[in-house]
Amino acid sequence: MHPLLLGRRRLILFAVACLDVGIAVGLLLKLIDHRSILNAYAFAIPVAFMFGFVCLSAWWVCRTAPLTTTPHGKLATRLLLATAQAIAVGAVLAFAWEAFILHAFGIAPGRIGRAGDFGIMAAVMLFLYPVSIVVHYLMLVFDQAREAERSVLESRVAARESELRALRAQLNPHFLFNSLNSINALIGGDPEGARRMCESLGDFLRRTLNLGARDVVPLADELALVDRYLGIERVRFGERLRVERRIDAEAARCLVPPLLLQPLVENAIKHGVAGRIEGGTVRLDAYRDGDRLVIEVENDVDPEQPARRGEGHGLDNVKRRLDAFSAREARLDVREEPGRFRVLLTLPAHLAGAPMEGAASA
Amino acid sequence: MPETLRAVVVDDEAPARSLLREYLSAHEDIAVAAECANGFEAVKVIHELKPEIVFLDVQMPKLDGFEVLELLEPGPAVVFCTAYDEYALRAFEVHAVDYLLKPFGRERLSEALARVRARRGEASATSTATIAAPVMHALEISAAARPGSRPLERILVRDGAKVHVIPVDQVDYLEAQDDYVAIHAQGRSWLKPQPLAELAAQLDAGRFVRIHRSYVLQVTRLARLELYAKDSRVAILPDGRQLPVSRSGYARLRELM
Repeated sequence: MHPLLLGRRRLILFAVACLDVGIAVGLLLKLIDHRSILNAYAFAIPVAFMFGFVCLSAWWVCRTAPLTTTPHGKLATRLLLATAQAIAVGAVLAFAWEAFILHAFGIAPGRIGRAGDFGIMAAVMLFLYPVSIVVHYLMLVFDQAREAERSVLESRVAARESELRALRAQLNPHFLFNSLNSINALIGGDPEGARRMCESLGDFLRRTLNLGARDVVPLADELALVDRYLGIERVRFGERLRVERRIDAEAARCLVPPLLLQPLVENAIKHGVAGRIEGGTVRLDAYRDGDRLVIEVENDVDPEQPARRGEGHGLDNVKRRLDAFSAREARLDVREEPGRFRVLLTLPAHLAGAPMEGAASA
Repeated sequence: MPETLRAVVVDDEAPARSLLREYLSAHEDIAVAAECANGFEAVKVIHELKPEIVFLDVQMPKLDGFEVLELLEPGPAVVFCTAYDEYALRAFEVHAVDYLLKPFGRERLSEALARVRARRGEASATSTATIAAPVMHALEISAAARPGSRPLERILVRDGAKVHVIPVDQVDYLEAQDDYVAIHAQGRSWLKPQPLAELAAQLDAGRFVRIHRSYVLQVTRLARLELYAKDSRVAILPDGRQLPVSRSGYARLRELM
């Protein structure tokens, strides 16, 4: 649907424009042809409205042949063709109307006759249609600019929001409580271990805050954060927590939204490894697949474990962050098999140092 | 010379266990009899050793702390040790003596032990009297206001030192047998010391119907109903077993179907 026909105010504007053209053409006819004013307007005003609607067709032409992406030759052909078509349709309509008013009301063309009217109307159309094309292109450019501005704002708001959410989720108080309890335990028998754990915990918190303040980070930084996290959890879980990593060097250089991976690893431990008496393995894979980056986080689960509680929330958060990063190209998939739980992230592979399209700069 | 109290420490994290062991070593009247790293082990060990005190974590593999407690005969003084504060109300509902939030210090543990000794001194005459009346009142309100928590997903039955976990999906029907409930599932049955009404109340009311004073049936197991005499019907299960259906049971069944 043409946007003009959707708003009442725009429609009135359009009608006034048509009326103006009709009045102008009517006056012209009267001057050239010496018709009565009524005679001239009975012909010109309705035909002007018909032309107005024919001119609206430029909207579809402009939309299907965008200025920036259409090759010049094709664009010129397309516009010329559209103009010729518009003139032809306009002429037929004008012709039909003239015939109609002659038959119905006996209003005949003046001295210049039908051919003269036809020529004038064709000239008017030849002028109006290109004007319409220009106006429509301007309208499209304006709309696009507004749309782009809005989506940039939206994604910026979403990014900030998810950053806050991630930070809040990151500093999971129970993780801190349990870690402090572990440190407390180590102080008795293994003071050196307690010191190391304080250091890891401090390092983990500092990295979290640093990463959280950035828009994108290399996957390698995310992995380093996950390593600190796993190091701390290994003190709590001991041999029960096993980790396998397969990270492509090239994948590690790709840029990802910060604090994406650690919540997934936390879920893998909380809902997977921690629920198994014998513990289990968290598998981390990252590789390039053409122009995409694929990250997999897989963990063992107890097959008899009752339905997970609260896991949806952690994944929702990651999903939102992916959407804010690249709504069109980033995806999160969950694969559940008996005894296994896997989360697959697919992102566009942007390399650190390379320019990123559509990324909001901080 | 005070009596020696034997304690069992249940926590899936080794550092947490060693911390308790270390703290407890300062108390001469407490001896750590065993450490358990999961719920199954805890049920077995506590059933066999019958300790005076149990230090119990909540989140553990297989069985959580509350499930462990449900499977044990009452007796030991229970002290919960967890990083989560949201289980505190529930802990007092099951008459835990204390609730320690990790990380906790020696003094806090000493307080808990003092409470354990005090309760033993009362010879369990008024076991809940140690909790102040206003607190009890608040607990009752919260228990009443709780919107029937989530329906049970699995039924736990202890057979000696062994724990059976029966997913609710597998249950055909429950049958009252004196002070026990017989749980019939997949051609087998287990006995659980619990009133039928109490267990039935924990199940999903949309799936389990009390068809008779002594029977609760999982609706999907009903093959057909037959009129047996005037106002008396029998429910027939896919394997041909027949269960009596009372008049009010029939009404409840019809309401659901």
